[in-house]
Amino acid sequence: MLNVRRNMKQIHLHSLLKSRGCKGLAYSVIGLALLTVIIAFIQNALTTNHLMKVTPDAAIGNPKLMEFAEKRGAPLFRTHCASCHGEDGKGNTIFGVPNLTDRDWLYGTGRVSDIEKVLFYGIRSHNPRGWNLAVMPAFARPVPSVTERIPPMTPGETRAVIAYLLKLENRPAGGTLAAAGDMIFHGNGGCYDCHTADAKGDSAIGAPDLTDGIWLYGDGSPAAMFESIAYGRQGICPAWTGKLSLPAIREISIFVYSLSQNVGRKK
Amino acid sequence: MTDISVNRWLINTRKLLDMGRVSTARSLALMAFAALIGLILAGYALFTAHSTTTFFVPGEDVALVNQQPITRADYYTQIQTDYGVDFPNASREQREKVLSDMMREELFVQRGKELDVAETDPDVRTAMVNAVEQMAAADVMTAQPDQSRLLAYYNAHTDRYAEEGIMTVQDLVFTKALDANQAIAAIRAGSPMDATLARFNGRDSGKVNGEDFYFAAKIHLGDKLFELARSLSTGGIGGPISLADGFHILVMARNTPPKPRDFRTVQPQVLDDYRNEEIKRIMVQYNAFLKKRANVLIAGDMQ
Repeated sequence: MLNVRRNMKQIHLHSLLKSRGCKGLAYSVIGLALLTVIIAFIQNALTTNHLMKVTPDAAIGNPKLMEFAEKRGAPLFRTHCASCHGEDGKGNTIFGVPNLTDRDWLYGTGRVSDIEKVLFYGIRSHNPRGWNLAVMPAFARPVPSVTERIPPMTPGETRAVIAYLLKLENRPAGGTLAAAGDMIFHGNGGCYDCHTADAKGDSAIGAPDLTDGIWLYGDGSPAAMFESIAYGRQGICPAWTGKLSLPAIREISIFVYSLSQNVGRKK
Repeated sequence: MTDISVNRWLINTRKLLDMGRVSTARSLALMAFAALIGLILAGYALFTAHSTTTFFVPGEDVALVNQQPITRADYYTQIQTDYGVDFPNASREQREKVLSDMMREELFVQRGKELDVAETDPDVRTAMVNAVEQMAAADVMTAQPDQSRLLAYYNAHTDRYAEEGIMTVQDLVFTKALDANQAIAAIRAGSPMDATLARFNGRDSGKVNGEDFYFAAKIHLGDKLFELARSLSTGGIGGPISLADGFHILVMARNTPPKPRDFRTVQPQVLDDYRNEEIKRIMVQYNAFLKKRANVLIAGDMQ
């Protein structure tokens, strides 16, 4: 009895499908789906084209483009950048990977074009167009820097510079020691050369601001500072040109920019 | 007879053009036609210098020179480099000049490839070698090794990640060996430094002044005295050692020998070193791969 019913059902379905109306409907659905895919594809291509035609910084003035780029940039960021910067883009102070959400920019001023340049050419990435200028010397080594003629520091001088930096942040520091550190910072140590005379850094070469309480490496403790001054720092960011498509780089740049916009201003 | 042939031909043609009917002949004819068009296109692309051509400039480029793109990113960077202004702030003349220069460069690069300038110009050869090395190293630069690999690397090279030792030592010089020995005994007995120096006609050499890293102490003291200093523990007195200027004794106020820095502290340096070594390893492999697939002949007298 059950088999007969099943057979009847199949025959009914078969006849239904055979009927012209149903065939037409099926073709229409398939056609519509195909059309939707084609339209979506064309729309994507056109928006990508538009995104690439505007200057990087102009894209932020167009909410539609921003939404499009952010949506596509997020998975790309997770695939290519999150292994260092973290899924949330908050970085890692053990490896000196910067927090991308705090509006404190080591290179440039946080514009999409600045971010894009880092993505294209990298930092100390061996790419000639990359940011390859500044390297934190290792002052506890006989030759602190291979490119600059800088004398090493004694442990006492290192501690004096640390005291000066603590004083700049209004943290407890020995007055005499800090004064000695001031002399070294602006004198033989040559720190002012990259970090500038007011120690506020220089984003044109990636020299960090030493007065803002934001630390790229470690927690800002004297021990972490000693480590940086004594043994140097030179983090890298790979150059993605040639590895990622140009639209992908633009989309990641806009996504990173949007990460920094979701938090309150630093200063 | 002729009429019959014409009629048959007309009937066959009608059958061929009747889309409501399945026609093997029509299918074969269309297939042959499509294959012919494909062959013509392929042949054209193969035997013409420009190969396939696009007639529009992609959004990410500012120009195509013989189908080679000049990207907007490079163009914006060039404007910034040449004039120190962003693209939106660049004047029309500046934009045109940069684009014209970049197109000229592209044309000359392409001509350079045709002339095979790398064959004769050492600078071009160096640049090409660097560029290929860079491309080969890119995979290492973009990959983040896992912690276990870094830890294994650290464990295999702990000596590289040692802290620099620190010492605070005094170097005293005496003209006679006997005076030096007596001074050592006096200092050990608790005699004040200044009084001891005055009593045994000694002086501070002035080579070291306060706290020093090991490498600096070695430079200041010289190898012989540094070896002695390194062996002294805090509060220790060593010597006398005879040098050209007299008999030296060392008084060690504080000696902190180098000790390994923990993995957590040195992770960034471990990562750098690991990457650099990986790049070196990859270059060796890359070189071996290129050699393997190359046809290299070496002159008999050079083998």
